[in-house]
Amino acid sequence: MSHLQEAFRKTFPAIMPKRNCRREPLGGSTIDRVQSILRRRVCRIEVPPKDIIEENLKEQRQHLVDLINRCAVRGESNSAIVTGPHGSGKTMLVSSVLREIESNPKVSKNLLIIRLNGLLQTDDKIAIQEITRQLQLDNVVGDKVFGSFAENLAFLLEALKRGSDTAQSVLFILEEFDLFAHHKNQTLLYNLFDICQSAQTPIAVIGVTRRLDVVELLEKRVKSRFSHRHIHVFNSLAFPAYKEVCKRVLTLPAEVGDAKFVKRWNQDIEALCSNATVHDVLKKTYQLDKSICRLQSLLLLPICKVTEDHPAIEAVDLVESSKHLGADSKAAMLHGISVLQLALVIAMKHLTDLYEGDPFNFEMLYNEYLKFVQRKAHVVQSFEKPVVLKAFEHLVSLEIVKPVDGHGSRTQKEYRAMSLLVTSAQLMDVLNTYPGCPSELKHWASNPLPS
Amino acid sequence: TPRKDIVPHITERRTPCKTPAKVLEHARARLHVSAVPDSLPCREHEFDDIYTFVRSKILDGTGGCMYISGVPGTGKTATVTEVMSFLRKEVEEDEDFPEFTLVEINGMKLTEPHQAFVQILKNLTGQKATAEHASQLLEKYFTSAAGRKQPIVLLVDELDLLWTRKQGVLYSIFDWPSRPKARLIVLAIANTMDLPERIMMNRISSRLGLTRMTFQPYTFKQLQSIVQSRLEGLQAFEPDAIQLAARKVAAVSGDARRALDICRRATELAETTKPTGKSKGPLVGMKHVDAALTEMFSSPKIVAMRQASRHEQIFLRAIATEFKMSGLEEGSFEKVLIQHISICRLEGLHPPVVSEVAAVCSRLASCRLILLESGTNELKQRIRLNVSQDDVTYALRDHSE
Repeated sequence: MSHLQEAFRKTFPAIMPKRNCRREPLGGSTIDRVQSILRRRVCRIEVPPKDIIEENLKEQRQHLVDLINRCAVRGESNSAIVTGPHGSGKTMLVSSVLREIESNPKVSKNLLIIRLNGLLQTDDKIAIQEITRQLQLDNVVGDKVFGSFAENLAFLLEALKRGSDTAQSVLFILEEFDLFAHHKNQTLLYNLFDICQSAQTPIAVIGVTRRLDVVELLEKRVKSRFSHRHIHVFNSLAFPAYKEVCKRVLTLPAEVGDAKFVKRWNQDIEALCSNATVHDVLKKTYQLDKSICRLQSLLLLPICKVTEDHPAIEAVDLVESSKHLGADSKAAMLHGISVLQLALVIAMKHLTDLYEGDPFNFEMLYNEYLKFVQRKAHVVQSFEKPVVLKAFEHLVSLEIVKPVDGHGSRTQKEYRAMSLLVTSAQLMDVLNTYPGCPSELKHWASNPLPS
Repeated sequence: TPRKDIVPHITERRTPCKTPAKVLEHARARLHVSAVPDSLPCREHEFDDIYTFVRSKILDGTGGCMYISGVPGTGKTATVTEVMSFLRKEVEEDEDFPEFTLVEINGMKLTEPHQAFVQILKNLTGQKATAEHASQLLEKYFTSAAGRKQPIVLLVDELDLLWTRKQGVLYSIFDWPSRPKARLIVLAIANTMDLPERIMMNRISSRLGLTRMTFQPYTFKQLQSIVQSRLEGLQAFEPDAIQLAARKVAAVSGDARRALDICRRATELAETTKPTGKSKGPLVGMKHVDAALTEMFSSPKIVAMRQASRHEQIFLRAIATEFKMSGLEEGSFEKVLIQHISICRLEGLHPPVVSEVAAVCSRLASCRLILLESGTNELKQRIRLNVSQDDVTYALRDHSE
């Protein structure tokens, strides 16, 4: 999913999922229903129920709920930042809190929710238009906001100033909060935090970000107005709990319909999770990345493979999926190049070793190639210089080798300083698995020619 | 235009705000930064100075400038606003005291420095104009005092934001008071003390004059009395608890907002841990303030490193090892990768492929435990630690599974 799509999904969670995957309780066979239930979980369309989140994030969740409740009911302004590494459930936490709040009429009828995302609202002008639009202020006609940036800002501030305790509370949720800190003068943040700290419309500002040092990005007067409430979310699951999550994701609820199928499926999952191979796969994934996101992408492929002919998830599926996720992209790319290009990569490797990591250029590379070809002329076809240059340029476009000085340089392409972006271990791996690799090449790779 | 008469407003509430009922709720409402008291404690001296300055200028019918500086949260804007409301009261009570107009602008609330003219004109006359036109109108307004009797007090907050290359806005603001008929008193507020010397041209800083005032950061005694004055008549805090918060904040920044925020957070914590209390109702104690302090001041980096996955921890150790070996504070991904793989071998782990390690690296960079050069040449990109090497060893010492 691209960044923008993701940003859109985060900002308007209510719109996107409905359009993409409407839940269809009626149609389809059992397998279809299983697929749709499991996919909703794995693709993060469904927010897990409150009690599951509370297992790990009880305090954080309570802090957020209290904060928003106080803002809506008592009109107390507040600001907080939710931080945590990727995939630790920041957005999930916020959406779960919002869901609880929306279901509570006491709170929800006094609260307007404004969602902004740093990836979409890339400057203050757009952000302020978006706020005005979501607040449905009077200078909005349809979905279009009138007036210049300065007028919009003045209008918005005026509106927020006027309704001191008669106006509804406003909850601002700023996703990718660190990007807002890069706006000019941090005008938006200053004004939001300033309203928080003065007797105007009660607002709550909740920033969501990955960066642990986000407060250091704030200007000192903005920082002074921020109330320094940090809510930290970490991937703190221990391995047994992680395994438990995996089991829970795959276990089916009773409402699928076919009770016999559900029972058998759940038994299978139980068996699957105690399987030693699965344990190893999960352990390996866990050691790399503890986030639930990674687990979900690991499970996506096996879930997609469930069909009428293959009605259960097997350990092999998980192993395969883990292989897919853990594939080395550079090695995969090297598998697709020609023998000439492979010879060039080997020559580059020798040059890099010879000059201890210093860059080389095409002429040096061609020279190295010629030396090899002249000695082993009977096995490897010798190519003309233009052909080799073409092959080399192809490698550059694949970014297997990169110019040191960026793209703007005006040096002739034969003399540009280049560096190789493949480690020798990767190259050796590829040579061993490359289909029909001439043994001379393999030999050359491990034994550089005497110069 | 048809939009002229629109009064901006936000949808009204369905139910009014609840008023605080319990002691702690009262305390919290009073501790909120927005609940500015009628008279500011510990700023009497500054109040007097500004008051005498503005009052004498108004009574004399002359103009003048005053530059007020101080770090954020030391009560600059609050003191000035208090002076203004005091003068306003005087106008109502004392018939001899002349009426005056107050115009407030804030550099941070403008999209662009020249918008200051638009805002001033709008606040003075209610007219709407473009920045250029507004500047001309104001020029005329201040040179000819046609049919105008009242003195004007112009309060400019966040002055440094009004800086432009030619400094036209600053020049106008400080030039108007020197006009004989303007009767304009400018109070400019900013953070840095040497702002006039640093960013202004000579002809502007000379017009600004030497009437300056600096707000010192609050000492711990002052912070303590600020919090106490807000809590007057409420039995909510142990006195030692207030002192702890005050001392801690005074040691770091002397920002009153921070002290109030900490106390407010402490009341929240006290409320949630209430059931254990036995006797006379919930009281905010040392432990609550201490918890609030650690929550607000502590850095989460150590925890983040401890909670990182096994390979992320190994990668951090690999960086530390690489730095120790090379003696530099920066290393390329290629070098760290070699260390990473050798640590994996030492610990009996299967070393991951390069793409996986690169993913680990970018994850650590996204939460800023390490700093990564931007760009796509993954093997050559340079890595720095964003935490100290000692922190890495401390966090990961007894924590490798």
